[in-house]
Amino acid sequence: MSSYQLNVNGTVHTVDVTGNTPLLWVLRDTLGLVGTKYGCGIGECGACTVHLDGVAMKSCGTAIKDLGSAKVTTIEGLARDGRLTALQQAWCTLDVSQCGYCQGGQIMCATALLAAKPKPTDADIDKAMSDNLCRCATYTRIRQAIHAAAGA
Amino acid sequence: MSAIPESPTPSASLDRRSFLKVSALAGGGLLIGTYFRWGGATALAEAVTATPVNFAPNVFISIAPDGAVSLIAPNSEMGQGAKTALPMILAEELDVSWDKVTISQADLNPAYGRQSAVGSGSTPGNYAPLRQAGATARAMLVAAAAETWSVPAGECTTANGTVIHAASTRRLPYGDLTARAAALPVPTSVTPKDPKDFKLLGTRVAGVDNEKIVTGQALYGIDQHQPGMVYAAFVKCPVFGGKVASVSLDDAKKFPGVKDAFVLDGIGGLTSGVAIIADSTWNAFYAASNLKVQWEEGEGVSQSSEDFAKQAQALATAAGGPTVPEGAKSLNATYHYPFLAHATLEPQNCTALFKDGLIEMWCPTQMPSSGQRLVTQGLGLPASKVVVHVTRLGGGFGRRGSNEFSLEAAAIAHRLEGTPVKLTWMREQDFQHDNYRSNGWHFFTGGVDGAGKVVALHDHFVKVQGQVGGMNGGGFPFNVMAGSRVESSQIPASIPTGYWRAPGDNGNVWAVQSFVDELAHAAGKDPLAFTLDLLAAVPAAPPPGAGGRGGGGRGGGFAASKMVAVLKLAAEKAGWGTPRPKGEGQGLAICNANGAYVAIIADVSVSPAGVLTIHKLTAAVDAGLIVNLSSAENQVQGSMLDGIGAAWFLKVTIDRGSVAQANFDDYALLGMANSPPVVDVHFVPSLAPPTGLGEPALPPAAPAVCNAIFAATGKRIRTLPFAGEDLKWS
Ligand code: FES
Ligand code: FES
Repeated sequence: MSSYQLNVNGTVHTVDVTGNTPLLWVLRDTLGLVGTKYGCGIGECGACTVHLDGVAMKSCGTAIKDLGSAKVTTIEGLARDGRLTALQQAWCTLDVSQCGYCQGGQIMCATALLAAKPKPTDADIDKAMSDNLCRCATYTRIRQAIHAAAGA
Repeated sequence: MSAIPESPTPSASLDRRSFLKVSALAGGGLLIGTYFRWGGATALAEAVTATPVNFAPNVFISIAPDGAVSLIAPNSEMGQGAKTALPMILAEELDVSWDKVTISQADLNPAYGRQSAVGSGSTPGNYAPLRQAGATARAMLVAAAAETWSVPAGECTTANGTVIHAASTRRLPYGDLTARAAALPVPTSVTPKDPKDFKLLGTRVAGVDNEKIVTGQALYGIDQHQPGMVYAAFVKCPVFGGKVASVSLDDAKKFPGVKDAFVLDGIGGLTSGVAIIADSTWNAFYAASNLKVQWEEGEGVSQSSEDFAKQAQALATAAGGPTVPEGAKSLNATYHYPFLAHATLEPQNCTALFKDGLIEMWCPTQMPSSGQRLVTQGLGLPASKVVVHVTRLGGGFGRRGSNEFSLEAAAIAHRLEGTPVKLTWMREQDFQHDNYRSNGWHFFTGGVDGAGKVVALHDHFVKVQGQVGGMNGGGFPFNVMAGSRVESSQIPASIPTGYWRAPGDNGNVWAVQSFVDELAHAAGKDPLAFTLDLLAAVPAAPPPGAGGRGGGGRGGGFAASKMVAVLKLAAEKAGWGTPRPKGEGQGLAICNANGAYVAIIADVSVSPAGVLTIHKLTAAVDAGLIVNLSSAENQVQGSMLDGIGAAWFLKVTIDRGSVAQANFDDYALLGMANSPPVVDVHFVPSLAPPTGLGEPALPPAAPAVCNAIFAATGKRIRTLPFAGEDLKWS
């Protein structure tokens, strides 16, 4: 066990965990931020997607000892002062979710996409979202919601 | 606002025999209990418990003095939309505005009756009782207002949570009437609205938990937390039927963060394994992945998918083939589909606490009663000492109708008396210890005469041993065609199989609808015209022997006219029959399941190099009255893509008695890039009671695509998944 400092959604935490613990489990088990989900643990599903300094990353593949000083944003940290982002709002209005388990990861990934490409094409969306699996296969509406938010 | 707690304990005084019960709430509100029949008699429910469907109370309406209406949802929410659809029905009949209704998830309690979220049954099973409950409440509020004003109830109307007496322009909001209404006798018969007057049902209503989901606040089973909780992994033998031979528990305890380790064996219903208790999920997983266990693999180790295929062929050969009438064109074709895993994105998990002789569980389950039964039997506790809290589910698809993970968590908690424990399955374990969709083979023989008429239709259907995955009455057209025949054989095996979305239809409809397409081409007919001809020959009354919930669907007999209507609608919307160049094609398939009628047309292209692109899917659906148009459309779109993704990419292979696939890298779910850009869903307008909708559009999606591939390339797909198939053409 060692001590690590990390900045999550603007708050600095000190955690005592084994150094190989993936960020995913530090968020979920140590900090109680359970909006970031476990789906595969090997970087294949995208359910655990967070932002490290604004870049979408899979938190199951980032050991806490390798995190360094990167600022972490999770799905809980997207809405500021209770105001949903345009993307979150589009997700609600278009009623994208079914079980919803993948959707936090989908939104984190799509948020990073829109930050890099404010008006993505279908091909951009296919490429950026290709690692985020939805077992309920809500892809039709995920695509619509990204376009809707981009137009907002 | 409500006097009803989130997880209510029904009062012992509640009369379970009366249909409705009304009582005043402490705060002056009106509480209506309704007793309803879980009416969607389903395969899963039937097989898991043989007790007859009965009436028991399981929904409670409360109307608070501020007019807020609250409803308890008996069925778990796994993405099928029940948590939104059920209160919509109530709000419609009550005549309250949607934004005044809230809903909470019920725990397992006999007072709520059957709480299974299986077989597309949540909405059809609850529709009539909820209408009755809403209409009764509304009638009593009207009576209370009429009494207040000394006018006949017949002169009063309702709108938006208000009773109106138009003649005197008086109005009273429901909240002002709760105390007086609660004192009234419950009317014995009320007339619900005429469905043609529905205002809310049939509209698009966004899911009640959407905002929680997009902000990471929706709590699933895997997100449960109890004070002082420890984390567990449970390691089982990869070979089905195997058990722990030996393990060094001292070694297990040396892994970082591990607090305890023990073997669980000899508990009824529980597969032997090693429990690892740690201070975090990660530390439990790490130890579980690195621990050396000696397994006693048992006899199951000799099983393999390869060997099953040989046995299937041998069974078919031994059975011999039927003969096709002299002069008719004869077709023989073998179709095969593999085992599938459920792969719910939330892996199986359960949190449990054993304290003061009571097991309390927080569990993502589709059938809480079966979990409770497993635990009572396995641990020898009375049902009253096993409490199940139902959480939101990260996908169901039939997986969480079985509850072995609940028993594992409860057994671990039992050992750790006083300490709550969260058991989470690693994804690898989730793949290796599923109840798989059964594999299956169809050995078809068909004959068409010179006029293109089907004169012989025979199928020998083979699958591994197991209750689930049989042919539902053979599926259309076997269920209706005189002289057609289905024989079936089972291969002796001990692979755990179970319910997978649209059980009995998910693979078989692909095979049958593909073979029908073969027959159409052999007959030299357009597949649409050919299927319409087959439908035209169906007698109006349900044919004898086309029974069960079968191809005839669970909603009773097969109504050919409904199938014709959806087929024509799909054909019109998809522009069926427009000539296309080689490399492009359309395919169609139909399915009747859970009482619904579905026709799907796929538009695809295949490049000369063999790369498949699905451009568009068009579905026409008759599912009775649509409760929530938004979630209904979402369900149909998702289930079509689910069916196509499985047929395209997915298989579970058995090797040495265990599953070869371990994670999503070798079980590649459909992703965004392969999802068609256009997925159109058209519902046939209907005022008939709603049917199930979470499953019936899945089975016909894959054959529509495969038939379209044939139209584009002339290549017939007879083995799933087809990702490796050579589709090149020139
Ligand atoms: S849990 Fe990280 S990608 Fe699946
Ligand atoms: S909504 Fe269920 S996994 Fe995406």
